[in-house]
Amino acid sequence: MTANPTAPAVRVRGLTVVYKTPVGELPAVSNVDLTLAPGTITGVVGESGSGKSTLALCLLNAVQSPGRIAAGSVEIDGLGDVVELGGEELRRARGRHVGYVFQAAQNSLNPLKTIGKQLLDLGRSHGVEDLRALVRDAKDLLARMGMDGARVLDSYQHELSGGMRQRVGIMLALVLNAKVVVLDEPTTALDMITQATILRIVREVHDERGLTTLVITHDVGAVAEVADNLAVMYGGRVVEHGPVMEVLGSPRHPYTRGLIRAIPRLSGDISLARALPGRPPTLGTLPAAGCVFRERCDRRMDVCDTVEPVPLTRDGRTVACHAVDAAADVDANAAPGVAAGAADRTPTTARRKEYA
Amino acid sequence: MTPTLRGRARSKTSKTSPTSPTSSASPKAVARRVAGHVARGLAMIWVVATISFVIIREIPGDPVKGQYESLIQKGMSPEQAERATAVLYGFLPTGSLWEQYTGYINSLLHLDLGRSLSTPGVEVTTLIGSAARWTVLPVLAGTLLSFLLGVIMGVYAAIKRSGRLGDVLALSGSLLHGVPVYVIGLLLTAIFATLWPIMPSGGPVDVEHVPGLNPGYLGSLAHHAVLPVVTYTLASYGGWILAMKSNVVAVLGDDFILAAELRGLKRGIVFRYIARNAILPLFTVLALSIGMLFGGSIFIEQIFNYPGLGLLLVGSISSRDYALMGGTFLVITIGIVVANIVADLLYTAIDPRVRSGGAA
Ligand SMILES: Nc1ncnc2c1ncn2[C@@H]1O[C@H](COP(=O)(O)OP(=O)(O)O)[C@@H](O)[C@H]1O
Ligand code: SF4
Ligand SMILES: [Mg+2]
Repeated sequence: MTANPTAPAVRVRGLTVVYKTPVGELPAVSNVDLTLAPGTITGVVGESGSGKSTLALCLLNAVQSPGRIAAGSVEIDGLGDVVELGGEELRRARGRHVGYVFQAAQNSLNPLKTIGKQLLDLGRSHGVEDLRALVRDAKDLLARMGMDGARVLDSYQHELSGGMRQRVGIMLALVLNAKVVVLDEPTTALDMITQATILRIVREVHDERGLTTLVITHDVGAVAEVADNLAVMYGGRVVEHGPVMEVLGSPRHPYTRGLIRAIPRLSGDISLARALPGRPPTLGTLPAAGCVFRERCDRRMDVCDTVEPVPLTRDGRTVACHAVDAAADVDANAAPGVAAGAADRTPTTARRKEYA
Repeated sequence: MTPTLRGRARSKTSKTSPTSPTSSASPKAVARRVAGHVARGLAMIWVVATISFVIIREIPGDPVKGQYESLIQKGMSPEQAERATAVLYGFLPTGSLWEQYTGYINSLLHLDLGRSLSTPGVEVTTLIGSAARWTVLPVLAGTLLSFLLGVIMGVYAAIKRSGRLGDVLALSGSLLHGVPVYVIGLLLTAIFATLWPIMPSGGPVDVEHVPGLNPGYLGSLAHHAVLPVVTYTLASYGGWILAMKSNVVAVLGDDFILAAELRGLKRGIVFRYIARNAILPLFTVLALSIGMLFGGSIFIEQIFNYPGLGLLLVGSISSRDYALMGGTFLVITIGIVVANIVADLLYTAIDPRVRSGGAA
């Protein structure tokens, strides 16, 4: 978990991404600041629609129409501000400097070409001279993820299961030795055992190569296993960010607490597990002023309706909430049992069995 | 690892083991599929042959029997008359239905389709053979040309779909797709053969040239072929451009294209991914439409007075030349069957999903 000196830092500053809708351009990511410390794995959690994928795409300057980056910068060491990149420069950065595992990684392969041929396309696109070495590296990565590399490279997408395709997607993101790796829900198509294994391999490769990694997931339990830091997103904001054990052990933002309470194993007791009330906002229902979480917040105050809380950093933890600003020490308010739950490192598989 | 998922694209007939994905593209599976097509095709040909036998046999007034009897009246012996009639229709005028039928099928197997009534004494196969030349070449040229044009323009129409060029291209496709082929043909003759007569108004070639490989004859052939080929091209161009446009738009929205861009693949490579995936479904349609057009376009051949299979068929119907009619139908059927097989082989060659026995 020690920071690797060769790993690049990623600094997201004032990032705002808007999508064009029938009622005008609405922000899916609002004025986000987020630093990925070199050599760390940062997990991003948050309900569906909170802007995780949009934020992740910004690391490649790849927000898709009808969206666009309206403001802000994404500085990556050795690459500069990605938002300013374009054309060939941007293309070369993608894949080579920033590896990306697509949210729908099962569908990220060309159905008409074998995996091997697509690997060679990737190598040629990035001027890899030793294609044999590339194939060897790819086979190694696939073998580590429990697959017969030679056979997978000879296969077409339709001959692989969803989980195998997802692992091929991870291989393609790692094989060029990119120093920044973004994984957007990389394990959704996998069974629980494989899911844990794959995340462990991601961790291993990350440590070996000295990467800076961003992992998006809605499985808070899984991210606790693998991440160093955790960012919690809601309504296009990073509402809480800090070391993963601290955030899970003593969540400060009411939304983070709600998320954790909703997970039986983490909250310590199934009978205490409580689904978060209300529904996550969509672009159209996000309030224009005040705190975006207030409709679902149990600690709402008057000021929350008018003033948007700014993220404040205290002892390495960042929180954006008026209630947290007010209370000097919120740890006392932490939900009982949470600390114990987060410290528990039972594999995700065991945890999942309780749901069934 | 999870055989349940990977089994989805596989057909039940594919016996390849789930642990050997590469072996699924076996030539055996291909051979089995082609054999199936050939069997179905032969059955189709047999059905058409039987129908044309029944038509000839059951036509009111029984032309076969009529011929036989009129020959006897002209003083032929029954044996002579029977042989002469058999030569004409390909089956015996007397005997039981079954004997007649087996006789007919037997001569079909020997590629004997009988003789024409309207062009007395000439074998049906000869007539069809010479008509086929005038159908196959222009149809092939027109179809391939429109396919090429439509596919290229379709890609542009898709990529530029939010711009003026895209609108114009898509509009040209919709308009041409909606106009009946004979309107296009008549319009072209009106313009280029009547108003501004730079093209011959009809016929396959000018009579003053000696047939053969001499420049005058070939030039005249080409000159006469221009309007029919252009008509074929315009008639099917609209369909191709619209189909290609919508395929490209669909592929552009596919996740794997975005993924390819996020991996930083070169533009040229991404373009090839798009083009190949979009064009694939059109190849089958192409092979099939070539097969269909074996029947010639009756309208086009009539407008340009082109002595192809379409005109032959129309002529045989109006002159009640049943042997010729049956033979022409049979040839058209064979064209379709062959096109089906070619389409399937083509698909197999270019789509790995089909190769492993998946959904076609
Ligand atoms: N192409 C798009 N057009 C319009 N709105 C979009 C588009 N993509 C995403 N959004 C909206 O942006 C918000 C954030 O989406 P996303 O980044 O995919 O969230 P997450 O990955 O956290 O589920 C959502 O409200 C979503 O509806
Ligand atoms: S700012 Fe107010 S409404 Fe928003 S989370 Fe904090 S207390 Fe709740
Ligand atoms: Mg997402």
